[in-house]
Amino acid sequence: MNGKLLTGNAAAASAARLARVDYVPAYPITPQTEIIETIADWVRERKMDTKFVQLESEHSMMTAAGAASLAGARVFTATSSQGLLYALEMLYNVSGWRAPMVLVNVSRALAAPIVLEPDHNDVLAARDSGFLQLHAETCQEVADLVLMAYRVAEDRRVMLPAIVNLDGFYLSFTRERVLLPEQEAVDRFLPQYRPLHPLRASRPVAKGAAVMEGYVYTYFRYNMHAAALRARKVFSEASRDYERLFGRSYGPVEGYMLDDAEYVLVMSNSFTTIGRQAVKRMRERGVAAGLLKLRMVRPFPSEEVAALLRGRKAVAVFDQNLSPGSGGIFYPEIAASLYNAKGRPAAILPVVGGLGGKQLTPKEMTTIFEEMQAIAKEGKTPSPMYLMRNDELARVKRAVALAQGES
Amino acid sequence: MIVRVRFHGRGGQGAKTASRILGTAAFNAGHFIQDFPVYGAERRGAPVASFTRFSDEEITERGFIFSPDVVAVMDDSLIVDPLANPLAGLRKGGCAVINTTKGADAVGGARKDVVVVPVALTEQALKFLGKPVLSAGIAAAVARVSGIKEESLLAGVDEELREVGLSEDMVKRNLEFAKSIYGELAPLKLKTEELPGKEELVPLALVVSGEGTEDVTRTGNSTVRHTGNWRTFRPAIDYEKCTDCMICYAYCPESAMSVGSDGRVKIDYDNCKGCMICLTECPLRAISQTREGGLQ
Repeated sequence: MNGKLLTGNAAAASAARLARVDYVPAYPITPQTEIIETIADWVRERKMDTKFVQLESEHSMMTAAGAASLAGARVFTATSSQGLLYALEMLYNVSGWRAPMVLVNVSRALAAPIVLEPDHNDVLAARDSGFLQLHAETCQEVADLVLMAYRVAEDRRVMLPAIVNLDGFYLSFTRERVLLPEQEAVDRFLPQYRPLHPLRASRPVAKGAAVMEGYVYTYFRYNMHAAALRARKVFSEASRDYERLFGRSYGPVEGYMLDDAEYVLVMSNSFTTIGRQAVKRMRERGVAAGLLKLRMVRPFPSEEVAALLRGRKAVAVFDQNLSPGSGGIFYPEIAASLYNAKGRPAAILPVVGGLGGKQLTPKEMTTIFEEMQAIAKEGKTPSPMYLMRNDELARVKRAVALAQGES
Repeated sequence: MIVRVRFHGRGGQGAKTASRILGTAAFNAGHFIQDFPVYGAERRGAPVASFTRFSDEEITERGFIFSPDVVAVMDDSLIVDPLANPLAGLRKGGCAVINTTKGADAVGGARKDVVVVPVALTEQALKFLGKPVLSAGIAAAVARVSGIKEESLLAGVDEELREVGLSEDMVKRNLEFAKSIYGELAPLKLKTEELPGKEELVPLALVVSGEGTEDVTRTGNSTVRHTGNWRTFRPAIDYEKCTDCMICYAYCPESAMSVGSDGRVKIDYDNCKGCMICLTECPLRAISQTREGGLQ
């Protein structure tokens, strides 16, 4: 087999190197640290011509990243979880400055309580920041989406920063086959970054100035929104070029066994792979199952979602995140995409699972598909499924008892 | 009936306190009220605004008042200030209470569809208080034209000025100031209700500007914004006494002092904010102050 065995973290670092990034401001956090360590090694060994700086926090890291982008540098950085939240204030600034860059987020569930394994509350906390968001299922996608993200972010029609998300552990530390593109081809795919009104000592420019009035602010925010919406088309163009050069094609969403599917599960990130297996198993049982993967999260591919989900008997949305007091975060976005669509599915089942990297079993997947069928048959209103197995709860109870002094 | 009042003053004149005095006065008179200032980049001398709404029914409005029934202009120089623009949006048939020593025609300008009430507040403030702080006086003027009873007004003045920490003596003098202004004026009939029509909205496509975003690329643009109209008092150099010692030049925090080709210090009135540090520092007392006249 051709290709190399790379972890998701190594794939991200490799893509940054192939993108010939000029500047990497960094701050370590598990499970992302390996990315910046890898880049630091390459810089030290002169295998990568990049200015690498460790800052004193993620907030400073993001500030430096945005400022360097405004000066005309191609910028790469990476973080996780609490680190992303610490940088969050600056994310909104960097996007408002219209400073393109790529931030790799290695998903890890948020404290408290503390856990190191992934869910998507971290990256979805940045959902409304103005960063484009691309979510990866495989280590291959990590590498490809980092390159695609630069192309889209730096396009003059877009000029917005982008996040590429990968799951901690499930991708970050997992080796699988990755085909890395040739440098020469990447150079053809990624033209030189041309900043807009770059920061120059000889030519002062003020970015993100105070505007003080709501209507001026609104003008800039609407323009940011419009640029994010334009990123859909730019992504499609980039995708065509990418396929031509590298043979791999990436749409904003991806269907799996969708053509004649009646029961469709919507998923994102690395657990999508588990969803594919479940679809195959359901097909073996004679159930017309299918899967829709969300790859692009911002801009949200509502047209593609509506086109691919209309006419289905039932849809389930698997959210590996939880907005306390509401439920899954993707569920309302999928429902909103379908509400005005002709022939929308009669029922959309919300499913929450995989929090803190909690295992997702084939049996649970069967339960989800059977619930979809029951809802479609009986026409009942779906009630949200919050995945928790009996054996898991029993283990929690044992741990709690132990923590409270029982022997 | 609802009455919407917008106060325009300069930082330090008491516009915020005036809106609170009127609010408390109307509240004492049994009205529903809202009062609030604009918060942002305010500073002494710069145009500021504050608002009071009062109504005999529950108020179903929020935010800045763009179409006031009454505007209270605490400094007539604001009328020609494009940033303050105090008569903007004043409803037809509404009232403009203006602190001025000039007549209604001189300050009302192009607005022939509103009632202009000129009142010489600064002179009275100097007489009663010894300084140009106008909150009690302007609140009294607005209370009078909009039909608030005198005892409600005076209770408002008393409560609000104690709240900001004024001495017993100063509160008393402000009450006298308010009574004097209240007695000068008469109530007006204000018509304040109208049904809103439909708005024409801009499609998003026309808001969108294309590639990237606009930045500020014009350098040295602070010269575009003149700050000379912040002055309440105007410094003037007596060149008979001035020895060109340059102390005023050194102390001016705004670089509004320059040296002309004749070697003499000159004041840049476009940018002098009237802080009077030059007057304080001049060892020969060669700098005097006069009150700004506003409209020339």
